[in-house]
Amino acid sequence: MAGLLGPLEKESMEKRNGASIVMEALVNHNVEVIFGYPGGVVLPLYDEMLNWPQVRHVLVRHEQCAAHMADGYARASGRVGVCLATSGPGATNLVTGIATAMMDSVPMVVITGQVNSWAIGTDAFQETDIQGITIPITKHNYLVTNVDDLPHALSEAFYLASTGRKGPVLVDIPKDVFQALSEADFPTEIHRRGYQHHVPIVPDKLTRAAALLNSAKKPVVIAGAGVIWSESSEELLELIEKANLPVINSLLGLGSIPREHPQALGMMGMHGEVAGTMAVQEADLVIGIGIRFDDRLTGKVAGFAPKANIIHFDIDKTEFSKVLTTTVIVPGDLKESLPAFTAEVETTSHPEWWTQIRGWQTDFPLVVPDTEGLLARHVLHTLNAVTESDAIISTDVGQHQMWTAQFYRFKRPFQWLSSGGLGTMGYGFPAAMGAVFAQPEKEVWAVVGDGGFQMTLQELQTAVENRLNIRICLVNNGYLGMVRQWQEMFYDNRYSHVEMGSPDYGKLADAYGVHFFRCSTRADLDATFEKARACQGPVLCEFIVEMEENVFPMVSAGAANNNIVMDPSLPKSTAGVH
Amino acid sequence: MQTHQHTITALVQNESGTLNRLVSLFRRRAFSLSSLNAGDCEQEGLSRLTIVVNGDENTLRQCVRQLEKLIDVVEVDDLPKDEAVQRELALIKVATNAEKRREVLDISQAMHCEVVHLGLEDMTLQMSATPSRINSLILLLQPYGVLQVVRSGLVAIRVEG
Repeated sequence: MAGLLGPLEKESMEKRNGASIVMEALVNHNVEVIFGYPGGVVLPLYDEMLNWPQVRHVLVRHEQCAAHMADGYARASGRVGVCLATSGPGATNLVTGIATAMMDSVPMVVITGQVNSWAIGTDAFQETDIQGITIPITKHNYLVTNVDDLPHALSEAFYLASTGRKGPVLVDIPKDVFQALSEADFPTEIHRRGYQHHVPIVPDKLTRAAALLNSAKKPVVIAGAGVIWSESSEELLELIEKANLPVINSLLGLGSIPREHPQALGMMGMHGEVAGTMAVQEADLVIGIGIRFDDRLTGKVAGFAPKANIIHFDIDKTEFSKVLTTTVIVPGDLKESLPAFTAEVETTSHPEWWTQIRGWQTDFPLVVPDTEGLLARHVLHTLNAVTESDAIISTDVGQHQMWTAQFYRFKRPFQWLSSGGLGTMGYGFPAAMGAVFAQPEKEVWAVVGDGGFQMTLQELQTAVENRLNIRICLVNNGYLGMVRQWQEMFYDNRYSHVEMGSPDYGKLADAYGVHFFRCSTRADLDATFEKARACQGPVLCEFIVEMEENVFPMVSAGAANNNIVMDPSLPKSTAGVH
Repeated sequence: MQTHQHTITALVQNESGTLNRLVSLFRRRAFSLSSLNAGDCEQEGLSRLTIVVNGDENTLRQCVRQLEKLIDVVEVDDLPKDEAVQRELALIKVATNAEKRREVLDISQAMHCEVVHLGLEDMTLQMSATPSRINSLILLLQPYGVLQVVRSGLVAIRVEG
């Protein structure tokens, strides 16, 4: 009987080609938009795409930006971002974007075309070993040479990208696999031996951790992006309010707790706020939650939190003891481990500890100097005020990034997009575009410098074509500001190749057909932002700021975090515009 | 911390890029790999690797966790010395002539080797033993002229202590 039914069933199942399977996978995973660029070997997929209007394809102007847009889409929504490129140079152009996503654990599925499976290894036209190239910068990757394996590989790619510690997964598909027919079905569930998508909590560790906290006099929490990706902000709040814990953020942890929360001390580390950095130095217990103790945060490891026991919560056990020795490790999903921990934690208030912390906050506030000339800090301080801390903000890398981290008072998760780990210049603008696709109803600003913007500004055309409500805050100081600052401070003012010429951005905006406003005085700041916010479609605002402004506070690379350098031009208690 | 040599076995899925991914991990994270052996195992579609790595306890722990994190690694076992049988296979071609043949055969017998090829000018011995015993054999053969050495790398299996 089964023998009769088998072939009948098979006949009723439809054969479709690999390209169609890819589109089906996107629809199955509710992918509404993909960012890509066509080319030779992905022609079958681009042809098939025309039959699937429910998936919007955004044609970029450089594949790197397709990856950054997918990344920005993911960071602004928590959902998997998808990008697509052809083989060879198309695929290699994605590499910076994939590495950016990998360093910051961003869920992304990357689809690349490959030369025909029978031509692999012959150095065929536009052949490159993208699987080999991306092994160190993907969570996992696939080369699918049999169309029957394609549904499973694609489903698994989405599953791996979005579970456990998230990350980019690449699927490389030869041209003939896009064309080959298959009736292979999508798996209804994914089971991968050895892959722990759910990391169970360990009650003993939680009990030990709770005992440490219950006896601590000066505890602090450092909350990172793990809180955001695991969507555990509420669980974090319950913990820190019960035990009245100060919360410091890593760069990418900003938004995991509202900046206006009375217990939030902002970012710590190389350019962090003094109160947070000092609190960690003085603490007797540091609770790292979803952080990886990056060197920009810890400073010299031997001098980090010298008086403290360290508890480390994370879903990825390779992060434990990778950088520093911890007292207790707490593996697991924060969504489960934090409430279990909170249940064992006693209600406390630590009044003396808070007095000390409030003292640092009063003595060392972040300062916006009341200068005549326009400073980048004026721009970012105003951006925060006019948008009421509610916009989605994306940045490039450098001084403007640090000032944004300092002055923008993030309210919620998925509001802050920045390349923290890889430090990718050119990320800010395309990532913000990805955010507009993810959250079209939200106000989105790309804060960029004149250096980074010139790396990816060709995407202005993409923004125009898609009528994106994206606003660009271009902070133009005519320098690669952060590199210049290091040359000033550590290389005896010997400026080497940091002067950054720019085109006339007004003419450039005209050429692309985007709104443009230029501002070079403090008096015009509010009006400039007001005009920009009233526009529909892409807006470029250029702020011409003082050329040699430096980011402070600062802990030099390699120094311990107690060596905080304050702005030498300011007296200790300068009244700023705060 | 003190540096030790550790033997790890890893059960891995046999897929495109698997071995590349494993070796890449050692290079990328600067783990000191001294031997790697891969082969089929009792489960279809899976391979078992024996990896010998040098490092202190913390490095080893990191190494095991990083291996476990690879998607195609099913399980990793860090073998304690007293709960493992470790073997390496070596093929050693040594120069011999009629005059010295007897001496080399005596050494071979004393070391429990097998003669797998006997030529006019050379002899090939096979030895399956611990790496240190193989080292001893090579030392003993050196006066005669060791022409070529091929070693499999260590394979190891966990046994009850």
